[in-house]
Amino acid sequence: MNAEQWLAERTFHHSNFWDIKWLVEEKERQGLSISLCLPAYNEEATIGKEIVILKSELHDRYPLVDEIAVIDSGSADNTCEIAASFGADVYLAEDHLQECGNLRGKGENLWKALYLLRGDVIVYVDSDIANIHPRFVYGLVGPLIKDPDVHYVKAFYDRPLAFSTGIRPTGGGRVTEILTRPLFSLFYPELTAILQPLSGEYAGRRSILEQIPFPVGYGVETAMLIDIYEKLGMEGFAQTDLDTRVHRNQETIALGRMSFGLLRTLFRRLTREQRAQFEDELPKIMRQFKVTDGEYQQVEFLIEEIERPPIVEIDAYMQKFHSEQVTVEQ
Amino acid sequence: MAKHGLDTTERVHTAGTTSIDRMREVLDAIDDIRELPDALLPLREEVLANLVMLAQIAAPTGDEEERVRYVLDRFTEAGLPEAGPDEIGNAVGFLPGAKGDRTIIAVAHLDTWIPKTVSHNVVVQTDRTIGAGISDNALGAAIVSMLPTFLDQLGIKLDCNLQLIGTVRSLHRGNHEGLKFFLDHAPRKFDFGIVVEGVELGRLNFFSLGMVRGDIACNVRREHLSRYGSESALVVLNQVVNRMLGISTPSRPHTRIRIGKMHAGIEYNTDPDHAELGFEVVSDSDEMVRGIISQIEDIVGEMSARTDVDVGLDCFFHREAGGIPFSHPLIKTVIEVMTQLGIQPNQEQILSEVSEFIAYGIPAVTLGVTTQQRDQKKTDHVMIDPILTGVAQLVGTIMAIDRGACDER
Repeated sequence: MNAEQWLAERTFHHSNFWDIKWLVEEKERQGLSISLCLPAYNEEATIGKEIVILKSELHDRYPLVDEIAVIDSGSADNTCEIAASFGADVYLAEDHLQECGNLRGKGENLWKALYLLRGDVIVYVDSDIANIHPRFVYGLVGPLIKDPDVHYVKAFYDRPLAFSTGIRPTGGGRVTEILTRPLFSLFYPELTAILQPLSGEYAGRRSILEQIPFPVGYGVETAMLIDIYEKLGMEGFAQTDLDTRVHRNQETIALGRMSFGLLRTLFRRLTREQRAQFEDELPKIMRQFKVTDGEYQQVEFLIEEIERPPIVEIDAYMQKFHSEQVTVEQ
Repeated sequence: MAKHGLDTTERVHTAGTTSIDRMREVLDAIDDIRELPDALLPLREEVLANLVMLAQIAAPTGDEEERVRYVLDRFTEAGLPEAGPDEIGNAVGFLPGAKGDRTIIAVAHLDTWIPKTVSHNVVVQTDRTIGAGISDNALGAAIVSMLPTFLDQLGIKLDCNLQLIGTVRSLHRGNHEGLKFFLDHAPRKFDFGIVVEGVELGRLNFFSLGMVRGDIACNVRREHLSRYGSESALVVLNQVVNRMLGISTPSRPHTRIRIGKMHAGIEYNTDPDHAELGFEVVSDSDEMVRGIISQIEDIVGEMSARTDVDVGLDCFFHREAGGIPFSHPLIKTVIEVMTQLGIQPNQEQILSEVSEFIAYGIPAVTLGVTTQQRDQKKTDHVMIDPILTGVAQLVGTIMAIDRGACDER
């Protein structure tokens, strides 16, 4: 499947899956269970709305989603209370898989969600979406239900439009356009067909998610794409246009730290595949500057971008989800 | 609790009783009104989801299409055999009853006073939902759109028909145009009307004062605009206000002139060439309203003649005084339902579409769904916990009407 073919056959619009009733019937026919994971950290402004809408529409009215869980990183606000009051299962990440230690970051929550949630398909949706709508979920699970060859579906939000001068950029974020897309063009050209590689919403089959490592920080989305690509090629992917997504905009300086983590994630994969070599270990310190009372000050940020191993390497996970295999091996 | 499925044979028809006796018999037969809020609990998230999704759709008066489409989708999903827009754009749904011997019409206006440029983002907290226009009237619209779902959840099969309308062009200069159009072109006779507003739980409006709302605009005539010492539109408007305040308003019949808004000027050093005010005249007596409007017309005409300013009067909203008496069985029934649910009735007069039902001779009430903390500085919000009590009040009233509690003898 070349890039043009893939774009034509594996790029959807959420409206392709408007018939939720059909999705539910087909999901049940296939015997699939679907879990919705909302990783959260201090999201009291939006978490209540997300749960109310997604639970009502996709759990109570149309049972497309079998469970809705918030995996919290230790919010100091009312995120957990609000989420629980509207019927979501709430897990504090640090309370689970304690034998593996505790790390902080979105990727940690996504990784532990594989252990905590039951579904054959896991849908990850960020908790800070102001214009949340059921399409953020059914648009992502639709391709998985429709096509058994699809294992991972990525969201994008702006449609590429033809201009007189060519194709308008897809409107990916600043990090996507300045960093990720150039790097993918250099090292993983096929992955450039993923229009918004850093979007925070995606759905995947447990069977593939459990086999890949999860960076706990900024690099988790990039790592997922590269690692699934290495295992399945582009045939394993699809992407869905979810129209507009309204969320907090990050300051450029914060995006700099994100880019640092992302680069570490990418270089780790390039060295793993022996496509790049560095004489020394790459630094873990990101240096930025601020001005205070007319003086420039260097601020150092430790960004290790630690990675969790594929969760199939964790005994507790294997006991819970692959107990037959564990028994046979014993 | 048991399903609230009402066998149609339960209808009370006891010869020789008064309408109040009948109302009491019916309400006694519906002995589980108090349990309705708990029975509706499984729908709490669905109510909130509808509320959020409706509230996040901007719908300034005259631009309600997207909300209409949303409400119609809900009607269709609920399986209403008739669901579609009427000619003026109202969202119209119809749930036929087993007998269809009477028809209740439940209405919520879909338009808001909030322009599209204002953020319609909604925040859901544990105790309240916050967002522009959420009480007026996203909540009322959400509840009307879900009435068939509530009845289904409770296992209620009505004998009477239920006509559901999400109206357009209700507020301000809309002048209840959507509802007026529907009632003017009604496909059937309506026996009772219920207007659903987001707040305030306990609200019970069943009569309307006579009212006229209007704008007065002062515009300095073009030929005088550049003349040194030309008239200020603001000063002329001030003179108009002083003259209006001089109009005598009797306490019997209760009459009031309210000047609610004014606007003029942009800079300290420039006489405004435009000034405007909005006012309303309310009275128990339509004759009194007409008399005052006539005096305002004279003031406007005189000021226009004596100054270099065109003073214009535009009365865009007219409402006749009227309503059903407090003794009407519909009112007694609603109060009894409220009492059973622990709701304190509040008969404070607030403008709503109930006046249109009154004008068409249809006994009707306006009911509020939930509470809010009264503070104009707070962003519009509705409290979550009382909502299902408000819905129970609505369902209880419909059940009572269905069983004949509100029939006049």
